[in-house]
Amino acid sequence: MQVAITRLFRRFNRRGIELEIEEEFCFHIEMLTQGYISRGMSLEAAKDAAAKCFGDAERIKTECAEISRRSHPFMRAMKSFLILLFLTGVLVRLFSEDFYVRHAGDMLIAVAALGRLLLYASGLSPSSFLSGNETSSPLILDSASRTRIVAYNERKRIPIEPTISDE
Amino acid sequence: MANGRTDLMQGTLELLILKTLAHESMHGYGIVQRIHETVEDLLKVEDGSLYPALYRMEERGWITSEWGVSENNRRAKFYKLTRAGRKQLDAECANWARISKAITRILQTA
Repeated sequence: MQVAITRLFRRFNRRGIELEIEEEFCFHIEMLTQGYISRGMSLEAAKDAAAKCFGDAERIKTECAEISRRSHPFMRAMKSFLILLFLTGVLVRLFSEDFYVRHAGDMLIAVAALGRLLLYASGLSPSSFLSGNETSSPLILDSASRTRIVAYNERKRIPIEPTISDE
Repeated sequence: MANGRTDLMQGTLELLILKTLAHESMHGYGIVQRIHETVEDLLKVEDGSLYPALYRMEERGWITSEWGVSENNRRAKFYKLTRAGRKQLDAECANWARISKAITRILQTA
């Protein structure tokens, strides 16, 4: 039960989401590194090749974290609740004759709009204001040989260090 | 095409992922490897770019994810196709066949 609660909290917490994504990326980069080592590369060269092959991990992590956060059931429920609140406010505002009830409708609309704005603002990160230099599609037809390693992103920055032993 | 690299249209990666996951659940690395093995590296999927696509597909309900243990005893996140994903795969396959047929006809007449 405690594990489930911790996992749920981790999935909603921004840092928790990022940790989970980092763990997933780390596994992928480690596997790539192992693959390059098995093809005869040195550990350092394999790590470098794996990092290049993976791409800009920091940018991808930010993108995945944003998708993960907005698709969380709590966020979905919150968005639905705010829409419901807004519609209730509009209906009250339109059909009520009483001044105080109409005023309550205004309050509902204001709370719903403010809540939606806060949800939107909480999802913004510094990277939201940066323009990416990605290609239009992550799929590339490659006519080169099997062993060629394609460097996809010149701004390589991998914060995750693969934990491959030197053996 | 001069440098041997050509971008493919958006949505193609989703189709390949759906097809790859049609038979068994897999982790991200496994999906990329399976695609590369199948197309014999004629088509290259950028490893990192796979993940935003996977997360978006999970958001749409086409796939679900679950942490498990990989073939080398490492903790890894496995993705599995949902019923909605299977329907989407059928729709995407039909769409791809239509587009492919249309482009082939144009190329044959031109």
